[in-house]
Amino acid sequence: MNTHEPIVGRYVYIQCEGKTYRTYYEEAGEGIPMVCLHTAGADGREYRHQLCDPDYTRNFRMIAFDLPWHGKSIPPEDFYLMEEEYKLTEKFYAEFIMAFIRALDLEKPVLMGQSMGGNVCLPLALNYEHEFSAFISLEGCDHSPGWWIDPLNHPAVGCDGVATSIFGLMSPESPDVYRHETWWYYAQGGPGIFKGDLHYYSVDSDFRDRAHKISGRVPIYFITGDYDFACTPEMTEQTAEKVKGSECIIFSGGHFPTSEDPAKFKDVVAPVLRKIVQNDPMARGGQASRPSSSGSDNRSSGGRPDRRVVDL
Amino acid sequence: MSSYASRRQFDLDWMERWARIVNDDRILPVIGRFFTGKFVIGFDSNDYLVEVQDGRVRRIFDGLTPNNFGYDFGLRASSSTWSKFCQPVPPPMFNDIWAMAHPLHENLKIEGNTLPFWQNVRALTRMLALMRDV
Repeated sequence: MNTHEPIVGRYVYIQCEGKTYRTYYEEAGEGIPMVCLHTAGADGREYRHQLCDPDYTRNFRMIAFDLPWHGKSIPPEDFYLMEEEYKLTEKFYAEFIMAFIRALDLEKPVLMGQSMGGNVCLPLALNYEHEFSAFISLEGCDHSPGWWIDPLNHPAVGCDGVATSIFGLMSPESPDVYRHETWWYYAQGGPGIFKGDLHYYSVDSDFRDRAHKISGRVPIYFITGDYDFACTPEMTEQTAEKVKGSECIIFSGGHFPTSEDPAKFKDVVAPVLRKIVQNDPMARGGQASRPSSSGSDNRSSGGRPDRRVVDL
Repeated sequence: MSSYASRRQFDLDWMERWARIVNDDRILPVIGRFFTGKFVIGFDSNDYLVEVQDGRVRRIFDGLTPNNFGYDFGLRASSSTWSKFCQPVPPPMFNDIWAMAHPLHENLKIEGNTLPFWQNVRALTRMLALMRDV
């Protein structure tokens, strides 16, 4: 039987830092707009399960875009003339997200991002709090060093090597098919793009001296899986302790909750979505989803023997 | 875990059982077709030199001598770390080579020329995951 998913994809032209970016986005659902940010080196497909799930789309207009250079969003047209390698910065990332939101006329959206998308919730909460109704920072923290490394942009390392660097960020108990699908997204990244994103993630997103300045007037929910070795539960908890009014949920899972284990993620995020619907400043959305929330652990922020040889 | 225990758990017989599982795997010949080289796996102070050809383990040497002409890269960790890695469901931070080696954790050292490590990391990751079946 032939079926279609409810996801619809479009292109929009976004102006940012003097350049025009043909940007691909997908959306599904109605209600409170929720802009979903993919991880470094990946694309909006990481949210395909959520965009197809009525437990999300009955209350939320779910929108996932591909950053320039990612997925179906092409690089700027003069990219082949660039005199330095691609590096994502906090300034560009934040400004691009805001330009996208304005281009789509989204009013007070929820921002949900994972990994670098979780980290960028912090500067946006600090500098643009009046333009959002809530933030969901998945696998986010205020400093995530150690990933801006050359093996991820070396001509002798293939796409499979780059992709395998992230495989262990996923929980061994997440479904095999979804872990390998997430791996596939990474294997499809453009040369140097994952590493370039990690310039933001590991170098330019250091927010340790600013996290305490966030007012707390807009809710921020931190959600991190215990298998995340890039942003550990402790790193998220320490960040959440600095961010006024935030909530912190640690669960049994990995760094790619939306794509590596969508069923587990739904259990974990369901209470957060209910709160967002109930507390929406514009009273949008009507029927808060109520799937069970089993499986999550909420923590408030607060002389060598003779040498032998085996021949096989 | 004591050094004695590590010799007992990760002895040459154990390495041979692992290598035979690797060589029976039907996916490694596909993803490891171009993985040919020599690497060291170190458990505490015990080193094994593993010779790989076309994604299959050809020889395992108990320790290193000048006759081996060195190796491409080494993966060295405590036997306690390897024991966690080898659990059927390894605990967080111990489920993956890069997880254990990442600068935030440093439970494992990747030594030598890391370029062939990264070039072959997909096949290597599958090879090492098969330690959980020993």
